[in-house]
Amino acid sequence: MTGDRPVPDALAARLAELLVQAALKNQRAFADLYSLTASKLFGVALRILRRQDWAEEVLQECYISIWNHAGDYAVQKSAPLTWMTSIVRNRSLDWLRRPRQEASGEEYEIAVEAWQDDAPGPVERLVASSEAAALARCMQQLEAKQRQSIMLAFFHGLSHSELAEHMKQPLGTVKTWVRRGLERLKLCLGEAA
Amino acid sequence: MASYKSPELREKLAAEYVIGTLHGRARARFQALQRYDPELRRIVAEWETRLTPLSAAAGEIAPPARVWQTVARRIGAARGGVSRAGLAFWRGLAVTSTAFVLILAAFIGVAPRPEPPMAMVAVMNDDRGLPALVVSWPSMTAVREPYVRIKVVQEHPVMAPGTTWEMWMQPPGKEAPVSMGLITTDADQTMKLKPALATRMEGAWRLAMSVEPKGGSPTGAPTGPVIFKGQCVKIL
Repeated sequence: MTGDRPVPDALAARLAELLVQAALKNQRAFADLYSLTASKLFGVALRILRRQDWAEEVLQECYISIWNHAGDYAVQKSAPLTWMTSIVRNRSLDWLRRPRQEASGEEYEIAVEAWQDDAPGPVERLVASSEAAALARCMQQLEAKQRQSIMLAFFHGLSHSELAEHMKQPLGTVKTWVRRGLERLKLCLGEAA
Repeated sequence: MASYKSPELREKLAAEYVIGTLHGRARARFQALQRYDPELRRIVAEWETRLTPLSAAAGEIAPPARVWQTVARRIGAARGGVSRAGLAFWRGLAVTSTAFVLILAAFIGVAPRPEPPMAMVAVMNDDRGLPALVVSWPSMTAVREPYVRIKVVQEHPVMAPGTTWEMWMQPPGKEAPVSMGLITTDADQTMKLKPALATRMEGAWRLAMSVEPKGGSPTGAPTGPVIFKGQCVKIL
């Protein structure tokens, strides 16, 4: 089933164990948890926030939050990295939606352009990660516009109207791409399982 | 306002929330809704599981060392500020009792004392809702002499002179509470159970602690105020 926790690999098992230790306020274990995940999570925050200083601040807050709420992890139905990534994504998105913060010239360049085309590169990178292989295959089955709008929204936290502006398309069209794309993804992932 | 009851709408909003296109007040409202709607949280978690692997394509970028330095300082400081770190830990976990119990299971699992795995646990809270005692017990068929283990996780309150504290097991339904025995002032203790009670512990619904005259309740039922109570949860 699509909703189930993926088969726990060695990393997932290790992270789950470290989260339990973190809930017991084991600082050593938390340091290990940080070193295993910080680069992944910083990448996620940076994609959405596109500013190094913001991404650092959000990452910091997220780890404090993970430290304080590690005990909650046990009741989640998701894999540890999914749980932690969702915390970072949500906080980054919330940060982005603060009362208008004008982006200054300090924007951190991280080859955003790579995402604005049809982006086969990142999708291929996904295939390398076995957990994501099914998702990558399903992404490739989407229409280019659907895939592109989902990628832009997911990685950069663009709203529907920002997507429309970015892709130079009417709002309704973009909304439909995203919605149909997500529906097809769900269906495809359901069949893959 | 749109109804959040429609399954299609809930599914659509959850997906949009996870992908990040749900913005502004709609996003805030959706976050608030999740708090009281576990089913909605489940739908969101499913979308997170579906889409989060995409994050792997974000690529890894090592954050500068100062991020960890700040985090380390802050989690260290958070701990030093409390007189008893252990207490803060128990209190922190009291927020989500299910999580608490699961973590507790892990905690009991690593306890140095060799003993059979605990099968059930009750976190007994005081009237402020803070955990005071953690009572756990193994499957009674796994031990020769049935017992429950009691850990005091708060500063042990002082028993008034001439009083004792009696532990009660409440079976489910309308059955009367059954006395388990009197607790001592030790921070970590075991309470031996009579075989007749032991066989009923698996069905225990709640534990309660009452203040009784010296020697225990004279009537066989709680007579004094109940100071701690907690629901029993199977963990094995």
